[in-house]
Amino acid sequence: MAATNYNIPPQISFSTKLKQNFFASPLDCLISVLCVLFFATVIYQFVDWAFLSSIWSAEDESLCRDAGGACWSVIDARHRIIFFGLFPYEEHWRSTLACVVMVATMIASCFSWFWSAFRLSFLWVLGFGSFYILMHGGVFGLSVITPERWGGLALTIFIFAAVSIIGMPLSIVLALGRRSKLPVIATLFGLFIDFFRSLPLLTILFTAAVITPFLLPGWLLGDKLYRVIAGFAIFFACYQAENIRAGLQAIPPGQDEAGKTLGLNFWQRVTRIQLPQAFRNSLPAIVNQFVITFKETSIVTIVGFFEILASGAAAYGTGKWTVHYIEVYVFIGAIYFMFVFSLSRYGAYLEKKLRVGNV
Amino acid sequence: MIRKQKQLLNTVAGCLVALSLVPATATAANGDTLKAVQDRGSLLCSGHNGSFPPFVQVTDDNKWSGYDIDYCRAMAVAVFGTDEKLKVVPISWAQRFPSLQSGDVDIIIKATGWTMGRDTELGIQFSRPYFVGATNVMMPKELGSTSPDTLEGGSLCANAGTSTERLAANFFKSRGIEIEMITFEKSEETREAYFAGRCDSLVGWGPNLAVTRQAAENPDDHVMMDVALALEPESAAMRQGDDNWVDIANWMFAATWIAEANGITSENVDEHKANPADSTVEKLLGVTPGIGERLGLSDDWAYNVIKQVGNSAEIFDNNIGADSVYKLDRGLNALWSDGGVIVPMILD
Repeated sequence: MAATNYNIPPQISFSTKLKQNFFASPLDCLISVLCVLFFATVIYQFVDWAFLSSIWSAEDESLCRDAGGACWSVIDARHRIIFFGLFPYEEHWRSTLACVVMVATMIASCFSWFWSAFRLSFLWVLGFGSFYILMHGGVFGLSVITPERWGGLALTIFIFAAVSIIGMPLSIVLALGRRSKLPVIATLFGLFIDFFRSLPLLTILFTAAVITPFLLPGWLLGDKLYRVIAGFAIFFACYQAENIRAGLQAIPPGQDEAGKTLGLNFWQRVTRIQLPQAFRNSLPAIVNQFVITFKETSIVTIVGFFEILASGAAAYGTGKWTVHYIEVYVFIGAIYFMFVFSLSRYGAYLEKKLRVGNV
Repeated sequence: MIRKQKQLLNTVAGCLVALSLVPATATAANGDTLKAVQDRGSLLCSGHNGSFPPFVQVTDDNKWSGYDIDYCRAMAVAVFGTDEKLKVVPISWAQRFPSLQSGDVDIIIKATGWTMGRDTELGIQFSRPYFVGATNVMMPKELGSTSPDTLEGGSLCANAGTSTERLAANFFKSRGIEIEMITFEKSEETREAYFAGRCDSLVGWGPNLAVTRQAAENPDDHVMMDVALALEPESAAMRQGDDNWVDIANWMFAATWIAEANGITSENVDEHKANPADSTVEKLLGVTPGIGERLGLSDDWAYNVIKQVGNSAEIFDNNIGADSVYKLDRGLNALWSDGGVIVPMILD
């Protein structure tokens, strides 16, 4: 028996490992101890600031100055602004529900059961429809609330979801177009992608929000929010198209030719041979683009949208709360972290599931 | 191929630049804005992407408030008789003037200084100044005096590289007062340094200083210097060419001033309407007709503004002055009869 086990590495106890890796020599000991002390101090300072010496309730704001820790009273008093921006106070349940619906839609579309064109479109039409009805109102006895009053987390989520859902199909079209065998099409798509990639996002948003009203006729304008989302989606799609193109280019041409010899038509080859592998090949880059986009939604504040960061500024920007901006930013940072970290972990899970990196 | 692409790119880029350079000639004709506002059924006034206390901020129950917002409300009340029809559009500083030109807002009431460039080149017409923002110096009360000489040999905290810093340096130099300038990159740093006692005084824009002061451990320990370093007149900005709309804005401001001059407040406006003291009050409150028709409004518009928003003293005190947390002295923003620079026009 023992002879067949020689492949298994010897079992090393935890203490031996610790000794080998961190306390092998006096210098190692010193470095390890210093590092542990350093991190312990930093963590203790933060825990002390955030939890031990902090004030939690809005009524206790007067105690904040002497407490020495975080003054979470500002969150207690003003969290509705961070979450809902300028959405009317009595209708906050609508904004909350809309957020929940949208997050649920995003989570649902992460399950592979939904990964068919029909199911995915059905899910998103349903998700977007309910979000819009809840936020905008005007039907089922809900009062109308126009987009200039939307804000906070709800607006950030809406912009991110809308940009992703418009941008993703667009990016596939752009990537395929750029790889077209027809030179005119390939050049035009290439120019389109490179043109929008060479402009800063800020310029595109500013143009969409502020300049287009001078250029387009009134009936084509729509609300500023939708113009900005359209501009943002084009920007997103151009970057994502290049990620997908990288994935497409990694597929050996023999596969497509094999598909042709089997009699598959263009769309069959694209949807069954090329795209699944392209997504698998560039998954890390694609997830990366989503992460970047979620964080870049904060740029829309420059064209006057009350997304979560602007709402945060409004939350601390009055009277006694002006000194507590750090607490507000830490709180918003935690919300961003929650979303982006989940997104990254989901990407990592997908990579594992699709065995990205293993050939 | 590559050269052709480059050429095309250049052409497209050139077109875009040309478009952005087209002078924004979106002027309005006389009476256009009022008609557009009435047809739309709402007044679009400027808000902020965030908050700019005490002019534009958000209350705990997600409503706009502030000094400028109150004047937006007054404008909506003047046109519609109610501020329910006011829509505050959040816009950033950079967006202000393009938004006005493109019709995203009907009027900008947002701490906007009246400059020649804006007045002539941007196609903008300004109302009379409704607020003067003084650059001032805040210092501890324990110094015992509020005159500039108190700071002789002391130090002054300022934001590095700003016009305020140069202004302060020139101000003290021209008076022969020796003062050490300590500058910081960020306004938070500057504020912390002053509160930590690293300098004896802090220079800034008056309303901003008031916001800083109320955040102090003991706001009463800090006072403003009795001389202002500079003044910026803040006016409402509107599209060039619509004189009627500018008239409405000017007389909306004037109505709040005339009301204050005659002791008419939101509380006692009904008594004054029942027993007008003189012909000015009669005209103001619409007892005798004329004030509305000449602007294209109803005769009780000024009455509504005073009743629902208040006179200029009430608007100031509620948002910036004694009844607010900021407790800024009315100073030059008082009527001329109280030592300020605000002069109501004459209602005839």
